[in-house]
Amino acid sequence: MPRSKEILNLAVSIGEVMLESGGEIYRVQETVGHVLEAYGIGDYHVFVITNGIFATVHEQREDAGSMVRYVPIGEVNLQRVAAANQLSREISAGECKIEEAYEKLLACRKDKGLPKWLLILSGGVGCAGFGYLMGARPYDSFFSFFLGMFLEAFLILAAHYKTSKFITNILGSTLITAGSLIFYTAGAGILYDRVIIGGIMPLLPGVSLTTAIRDLFGGDYLSGGIRLTDALLTSMCIAIGVGAAVKAFQMMGGGVLPL
Amino acid sequence: MISQVIMCMLATVAFAILFHVPRTEYFFCAVNGAVGWITYASWNMHGAGPVAASLWAALALTLLARAFSAIRRMPSTVFLITGIFSLVPGSGLYYTSYFLIVGDLARFMEKGTETLKIAGAIVLGMIFGLVLPQGWFNQLGKLLHPSDH
Repeated sequence: MPRSKEILNLAVSIGEVMLESGGEIYRVQETVGHVLEAYGIGDYHVFVITNGIFATVHEQREDAGSMVRYVPIGEVNLQRVAAANQLSREISAGECKIEEAYEKLLACRKDKGLPKWLLILSGGVGCAGFGYLMGARPYDSFFSFFLGMFLEAFLILAAHYKTSKFITNILGSTLITAGSLIFYTAGAGILYDRVIIGGIMPLLPGVSLTTAIRDLFGGDYLSGGIRLTDALLTSMCIAIGVGAAVKAFQMMGGGVLPL
Repeated sequence: MISQVIMCMLATVAFAILFHVPRTEYFFCAVNGAVGWITYASWNMHGAGPVAASLWAALALTLLARAFSAIRRMPSTVFLITGIFSLVPGSGLYYTSYFLIVGDLARFMEKGTETLKIAGAIVLGMIFGLVLPQGWFNQLGKLLHPSDH
């Protein structure tokens, strides 16, 4: 493999890690550029969109190289974004040889992350906390906590079986709503709407919205549009899930719910 | 109010864990979330309404996220994504779909418009926060890391 190709592969792989873990377009584009420049390639073109990276180097020369990567939107992993960012800083400062950089990148990819029980517990705490902010009493937050843990476990399972995002969001919000309504009907005396609002928190498209704005602001209208569409569709899926559960509850004779 | 701020910090850290934020940054994410919520709550308390309050809160937490990003040498996304969740209009989304299902179209329109307006306000607030030149924030980072130069 010519050296230019090797460098290009490294640069694009670093960009790929960033992009799939939730980095913004302009950051990925700049990072790939910085890495290429640090290894002495000045003649390059990089084009990044939400789920792909296209790059060429030395187009007019003998050792020309080009690369296309398809990068499906993955799980948000800010640790990886930060690690890839740090790696590109080190490379730019000239502190890292190509082989070293490859090793570091591999280590960053292999990093298994946090244990599942901690994720499930945080899902519960997050739902309880945000539910409390939206006007739930501590007693209601207790129920949000359990529903939140349940939801997070469901989300982990769904990710494991690679379930479609639409189905996951619809089923997830249905689970939360149904759970809350079951506790309510059983006479737990909860403010069922606050429990639902806390419970759907992890499904809300906060990440897509934030990334959409940053992409649009950076002039990457295509990628911003993709993220914005994602945010809108996710919200609609949540609304469908909640609505389906409420409707089913009414049809089963639950009557009109008090607000 | 104090209990709300504590809960907000707790919940923000919980979401930071869900998004695999590096361990060293949990505290800063929590502060960012709390500042967002305090800004939102105090504007709301003085009668600004949820839309204007969301705008100011999004502005405050975007600026703080960028400052933290310069100080901590982290991508600003780390603080921004975790901080924004206390503002995302989850309750608006719930009530909108609820009123649609029960057929109360007047209140459906009212809630739906409000939810969209809040989302728009968050967008505007973040854009205002992103407009300031990065150089200003880098200066802040240089002040705190004098050893680099």
